[in-house]
Amino acid sequence: MRKDDKISEEQLNAFLDGELESEERSCLFNEAELSDDLDQRLCQQRKLKELVQHAYRDVPDPKRHLTGRRTRTGLVGLAMAASLLLVIGVSAGMFIRGYLEPAQGTGGNISANNPHAVAAMENYILHVVSGEPEQMRLALQKAEELLSAAGTGNPRQVEVVANEQGLNLLRSDVTPFSNEISALASDKVIFYACSKAIQRLEEKGVDVQLVPEAIPGYTALDRVVIRMKDGWQYIKI
Amino acid sequence: MATKKLFGISQRRAFKRLLTNNRERLYRMAYAWTGNPHLADDLVQQTLLKALRSQKQLRDFAAAEGWLFRILANCLTDYRRAKREFQSADDLEIIDKVTPEHQFNDEQLVRRVRRAVQKLPINHRQVITLVDLEEFSYASVAQILDIPVGTVMSRLCRGRRALREFLLEMRPQESSRPATHIQRIK
Repeated sequence: MRKDDKISEEQLNAFLDGELESEERSCLFNEAELSDDLDQRLCQQRKLKELVQHAYRDVPDPKRHLTGRRTRTGLVGLAMAASLLLVIGVSAGMFIRGYLEPAQGTGGNISANNPHAVAAMENYILHVVSGEPEQMRLALQKAEELLSAAGTGNPRQVEVVANEQGLNLLRSDVTPFSNEISALASDKVIFYACSKAIQRLEEKGVDVQLVPEAIPGYTALDRVVIRMKDGWQYIKI
Repeated sequence: MATKKLFGISQRRAFKRLLTNNRERLYRMAYAWTGNPHLADDLVQQTLLKALRSQKQLRDFAAAEGWLFRILANCLTDYRRAKREFQSADDLEIIDKVTPEHQFNDEQLVRRVRRAVQKLPINHRQVITLVDLEEFSYASVAQILDIPVGTVMSRLCRGRRALREFLLEMRPQESSRPATHIQRIK
């Protein structure tokens, strides 16, 4: 049996991955000096490790792929581009408003039925995932309740983001609540339709028409994460 | 209760920074595991959301990175339990055509290695990428994936052996491979 056969593959891996103690490393270095075969095995393992690192040094940007797909959707793509401009405008407005307002409270996940929720002078993001009309109504009622609880002297921002079945809330040909959405939007509630949910429906051949108040361009999770990082309260309905 | 301080920075701010600083790393790992940029992005978003929701569970900031990767691994496990299928390795060809790798001379090599990684069983893929891409210690990988260190070592060994074989198998086929593929959009 050759000497380097005693060195197991596990030992070689541990050596390459920096898992061996200094003494063990020295020992293996010495073995490799004396054995071309062992030296070659080490080189092969190291090459493999570096190949994996190299292969994932630059990974594709998911947002770019999403944009690419949108451009193939024709008029829908144009509508989305227009909506993105609206998003930029709204975001700029929110940024200025947020800058002028006092610091917000801590973010967190609270129940839709929590009576203390309306007492806190904080901003809220409501996440609608259900396509049940009762749940949609609950979401809109909650948005209204949060706005009215803030009072005129304490401006509060409320956003509603819809995905999965909840997207039906913002689909003009499906929602039973277009009037309520319009009224809330005039009270500065901002509605976001999840871009991924739209994309999935379109891939199934569904022509997604949104109410004019709905803004596409974000995924629901992105929007929630952004707002929670801003310290907003999160309510899932 | 008074806000905890870490090196003069509030814990909340430090936590936000932790998420921001690790988002790209998590995405790269999720992409290496799934081979699908959209799914990887979804998993990272779920990971960040779960991390935000359960930030109080994080007691030791020194272990925060491993904690985030563990959440990512759990998100992937949940996804697989929901019996949704991964894209096949062939689909990656199409996705990669619009990536920055296209402009580099080693495009073929990168794609071949990624395809080979995707051919590995997910258990082996996770261990190899956590060790090679993030350079986590075996003990950290064991914690992230909730498996014994011995299992990490054996999976790493079998995984690398298989990876080497896949790469050898793919090498001669690469030159004769047809350039066009059919795209499947999920």
